[in-house]
Amino acid sequence: MTDVELVSAPQEDAQYAWWRRKDVKAIFLIWLLLTVIGLSLCWVPAHLMGESASEQMDETKQTMTLFTAIAAPVGAFIWAVMIYSLAKWRYTGEGPPPDDAPEFRTNTPSVLVWTLGSAILTMVVFVWGLLKIAAIPAASGFGLQVVDAPPAMEIAVTGNQWVWNFTYPEFNEIQSDVLYLPVDTPTTFDVTSNDVIHSFWIVQMGVKVDANPGAITHTEVTPHKVGTYEIRCAELCGILHAAMQTQVKVVPKTEFDAWVKAKLAVVPLGPAEPKSVGGA
Amino acid sequence: MSVLTHDHIAGQTPNSSNAGGMLLRRMNVVTAIIFGLIFCVGIHYIATAVFVMPEIPEGQDPPSGLVWMLENRVTLATMAGWVLGFMVGIGAFNGPVRWILGKDLTDEDLLFQAGKDQGISRYFRYTTDHKVVGIQYLIITMTLLGVGGTFAMLIRTNLMTPTSTFLGPTTYNTFVGMHGIIMIIATIIMVTGPFGNFVLPIMIGARDMAFPRLNALSFWLIASVVPVLLSTPFLGGMPTGWVAYNPLASQAPPGMDAFVITIIVFAISSAIAGANITTTAVKMRTKGMTWTRTPIFVYGVVASVGLAIPVFPAFMASQVLSGLDRAAGTTWYDPAGGGSGWLYANLFWLMGHPEVYVILIPALAALLELTPVFTRRPLFSFKTAVVAIAGIVGLSVLVWAHHMYVSGWAPDLGGPFMLTTEMISIPTGLLFLVFIGTMWRGRIWTRLPMMAVYAMLWNFVIGGITGVYLSDIPADEAMHGSMFVTAHFHYTLMGVALTGALGAVVYWFPKMTGRMIDEKIGFWGFWMIQIGFQVTFMGMFMVGLGGQPRRVFNYSDMYTTGNFVSTMGAYTIGLGALVFLYTIISSWRHGEVAPSNPWGAKTLEWQVPTPVPLENFDVLPIITEDAYGYGRPASEPKEGSSV
Repeated sequence: MTDVELVSAPQEDAQYAWWRRKDVKAIFLIWLLLTVIGLSLCWVPAHLMGESASEQMDETKQTMTLFTAIAAPVGAFIWAVMIYSLAKWRYTGEGPPPDDAPEFRTNTPSVLVWTLGSAILTMVVFVWGLLKIAAIPAASGFGLQVVDAPPAMEIAVTGNQWVWNFTYPEFNEIQSDVLYLPVDTPTTFDVTSNDVIHSFWIVQMGVKVDANPGAITHTEVTPHKVGTYEIRCAELCGILHAAMQTQVKVVPKTEFDAWVKAKLAVVPLGPAEPKSVGGA
Repeated sequence: MSVLTHDHIAGQTPNSSNAGGMLLRRMNVVTAIIFGLIFCVGIHYIATAVFVMPEIPEGQDPPSGLVWMLENRVTLATMAGWVLGFMVGIGAFNGPVRWILGKDLTDEDLLFQAGKDQGISRYFRYTTDHKVVGIQYLIITMTLLGVGGTFAMLIRTNLMTPTSTFLGPTTYNTFVGMHGIIMIIATIIMVTGPFGNFVLPIMIGARDMAFPRLNALSFWLIASVVPVLLSTPFLGGMPTGWVAYNPLASQAPPGMDAFVITIIVFAISSAIAGANITTTAVKMRTKGMTWTRTPIFVYGVVASVGLAIPVFPAFMASQVLSGLDRAAGTTWYDPAGGGSGWLYANLFWLMGHPEVYVILIPALAALLELTPVFTRRPLFSFKTAVVAIAGIVGLSVLVWAHHMYVSGWAPDLGGPFMLTTEMISIPTGLLFLVFIGTMWRGRIWTRLPMMAVYAMLWNFVIGGITGVYLSDIPADEAMHGSMFVTAHFHYTLMGVALTGALGAVVYWFPKMTGRMIDEKIGFWGFWMIQIGFQVTFMGMFMVGLGGQPRRVFNYSDMYTTGNFVSTMGAYTIGLGALVFLYTIISSWRHGEVAPSNPWGAKTLEWQVPTPVPLENFDVLPIITEDAYGYGRPASEPKEGSSV
């Protein structure tokens, strides 16, 4: 402990204004570097979210990128101080350091700037979120009804342990366990459950709402890309929760009409007749 | 230890008769288990005899719902019997019963209960000394972390490949739930239990807790209920995860009853511990320890247990109602009977979100406490730290419904809950400032506890940022129920809280055990945990963003790589944890003997000898300044230097 080299020398440049001091300049450079790295990587979360099949998913990916970009300089600052302090202020002796670091107990300007800065960032994030909820009808599975929205196709979604069932009330209650949607058509989902709580999730459309027994919840989406996408259950619903998935096929309108026609041909018109007569 | 001026001992009238004390001296964990088993078996037979099936006409099957309900009645009664018997057997009722009989505990009895001159056997008794209780909590925490971690390893092994049949769906779901609830209980107690009990009273200059017997009670309640919780897999398991959502929970086999009993008993235990620690910190600080001279760790512990006092009853109520639905045919959560799953979700998350701060705050406070010691700087802006902790506690009870953004319950409240949730980042951010402000131009003494601060800050940046994504409603709509959420909360609860607890255990180890931790091996354990942790949960963030749901035993091929990476990372954590565990055990048994103040710290617990004598202080200290007066020569003390 005697031949200890004190890495943290007394501050020789204390007479300068704070931004001209050696420590501050070095930390600024590290911060800049980390921020640039962070900003140049801020597309990664959105990229990992994969394909997008609706405007809401596009918006959500945008949100992820924006939040990452906002977070980059903040995280970079913490990490910059961490890196610099480890490199420059380190003391590696066996016993406690023989002398203490300078005694300053607080710094009111930095506390104020920090508080104000984080409050502003919080408000940016909050207002952005509110605007997004208001702008995307699909996000208003949260009760906001968009009055002048184009009339939407309604589909009743029912969760059962462990299958999804889709009913098209506008087309004589035809049923399917694969969801067919015409592209570019606003669609409303009325979601419920026959047993426990499930959560109806169209992965590539960024749409999700719980299916509750005894209640109907709503969500909306306008698929804007033809293709086959995933529907999963997002609420643990029993042993086969993992298997509770199906697909959504977004098809051109003509193809959708053809599918409806074919379905109607199989489903008898009028109230369904009791199926089994003999047997029991 | 000749001078014993224990207040409540001094207040007793001396009683030379020792006639009633023999029972007290014979009770320990063995009698507890024997009594537990007797009560358990006895009540099981009584319950089976009382709850009988009504007459069923010849040739008909009994209604399955009724069979199930009777089964739950018997199971709940049996488990409650075990807990009651265990508490009788450990001697929890000796004091009250003796008081009712007019034969109050004598001085000798109280000293016996405090574990005077008993050596190792006092750890297996209803011992009231706060230091014994602290060690007991440390052991049970490490045990629970070990069991919960083993479940995690099994879960990750199952998830190594997309269509694994290693565990099968029923066992997988049970293990997910067990991992969850065991880790939640372990992390709730992991700082306030061992260090809140062992360190806090010494730190504030007290001779013991305000209510030493309640202290023992809170510990032994948890000990009694651990076997109940661990019986779950043998009683059909629990398919619900640790959230135990209804109505799914009302379909579950009797394993679910174990969860109900566990939560009820745990809530009682934490209420008792909360009242005890809070009272101790408020009333028993030594002379001169004003609030601005009280160490920040005390604030953190009080905030944690104080926050648990109002919120855990909601959890308890949720499980009482759940138990009634299962055993008494009520329909609190059954829509067909006028109930609602949303009622359960609200009760659960009323506890569920504050609870993460119950876990997080004391761990952060432990690191805040040790950062000045290893930077030789006063804690930066002590009052900011206090305000930040208070702000987090206050806001934490207003954010619960962000767990229910997509539930369909009260959609119009989405905006307000988004606001409160995002506002928490302001006080949380202030804690970051306190940490880096304390590190600023410090002498960063790079011992293992300080490394925990660095690891925690790294993890907290990631955990915090991913939390902001999830607070945004549209983004949450995409990610709720996915592995992204799992990765996020592991970054906070494990990356921040558990890392903080590891730092705390290395920091206070010399005082608690009298020996130094072997940092050479501990270093490897610690960093294997940290690096494995990054690998595990980065992989999990990836698959979560890609849309892999939580709590699935199989998954689509597109997530193979991310899950494989996660599993490899998890094994690294497991290995690191074993190395760390080995470090603790070997250092405890034959580590280097610790001086009384190896870190050169200024808080009171380092000023008493090691091992700490029974009542901590011969003469209670008088405090003239706070414990962060680093940075000035000892020769020129500054009066009233408290910020």
